[in-house]
Amino acid sequence: MKTIDIIHNEHRALGAVLQALAYVVDALRANKLQPDFGLLAAMVDYITLGPETVHHPKEDQYLFARLRDRSPDAAQLIAKLEQEHQDGYAMTVTLQKALIHYQSVGAAGFAAFAEVVAKYLEFTWSHLNCEETELLPLARTALTAADWAAIDAEFADNFDPFAGADGEFAGLFSRIVNLTPAPYGLGPAAAT
Amino acid sequence: MTELLRLENVWAGYGDAVVLEDISFSLDAGDSMALLGRNGMGKTTLLATLMGATQLKSGKMRYAGADLVAVPSHRRAHLGLGWVPQERDIFASLSVEENLSVVARPGPWTLQRTYELFPRLQERRANMGNQLSGGEQQMLALARALMLNPKLLLLDEPLEGLAPLIVQELLTIIGRMAKSGDMAVILVEQHARQILPLTRQAVVLERGRTVYAGASEPLIQDKSQLDRWLGVGGQ
Repeated sequence: MKTIDIIHNEHRALGAVLQALAYVVDALRANKLQPDFGLLAAMVDYITLGPETVHHPKEDQYLFARLRDRSPDAAQLIAKLEQEHQDGYAMTVTLQKALIHYQSVGAAGFAAFAEVVAKYLEFTWSHLNCEETELLPLARTALTAADWAAIDAEFADNFDPFAGADGEFAGLFSRIVNLTPAPYGLGPAAAT
Repeated sequence: MTELLRLENVWAGYGDAVVLEDISFSLDAGDSMALLGRNGMGKTTLLATLMGATQLKSGKMRYAGADLVAVPSHRRAHLGLGWVPQERDIFASLSVEENLSVVARPGPWTLQRTYELFPRLQERRANMGNQLSGGEQQMLALARALMLNPKLLLLDEPLEGLAPLIVQELLTIIGRMAKSGDMAVILVEQHARQILPLTRQAVVLERGRTVYAGASEPLIQDKSQLDRWLGVGGQ
């Protein structure tokens, strides 16, 4: 079941960026950091493009599709998660707009941006938790060995959670790591 | 591949205490191995035994065809054993580049190639060791071990205490190191699910004894055994 490991890996990578985003927004709110819009834009790019172009298509097309065939009981859960994939993308678009507004108007735009970030984080953590604690355990029991072999083959083309199909996310992820203040990343630490 | 390291029935510990019991495995040149187990199961002691920092009670250790036991601990680094301990131990009063250059030995890992693997260190090349963040210090410790051009690299929990963002970045780098084939790598970690895909072989220790020695691939797929030996599906 390499598929499950790939999903875990991609969730870990996304979760690491979400955690760093939450830290940066908290530090901005506490005036311990000056806004680094390059970093915020890189984070928003990653959480928009990674799930939308690499992660969700694999889940929707391969894992969810086969699980729906095998387990009628899973249909409602899968429908909920598929809807969340769409809603999550819409929220990242809102996030991009809020970031552009924040960058345009300066400190006056922070509160609105922080509010959008908070909603996105709550939504996404809940979504990831649902996949980890409900969907994957269900898939482990409902899918056959032949199903997993087929899904593993379909997932195999896209193993690296950071590289993406064209390697475009490796550089983006490294940029986020380098710019995020220590100890969450490698950038200069925030004021204490 | 040629065999680089072989342990046969190794018993070792500290003073009168025996920590490792009857450990046997072999590792080929350029190969990679995950050394797994819960806290206190003997993983660090095994690395320390390879470096000659414990008391060998009995058993054989052969390295590059010669008896490793006969080599004093201070000579083992010269044989090509590179150890990155949990403590990092970088020189605070030297710059990043000095930290790397001072240990450099001839081989495929030049300063330029090391910087290519760790571009962040190249950016920080003039900074002193004590001006680096924890994540940068860990990168420097790894890079410095590469500059020794070891035949066998021992990494002791290189991800310990680091934030998830840095862990993900280092996992990518360690994966490249392990797959380079320039050296054999033994990687100690508690997060089995994250490091098993990076290594070809795995050894699991439980109370100082080997409970698994074999390929990494079947182990990562065996959730029940990972749960039993490592807890929480190997995390």
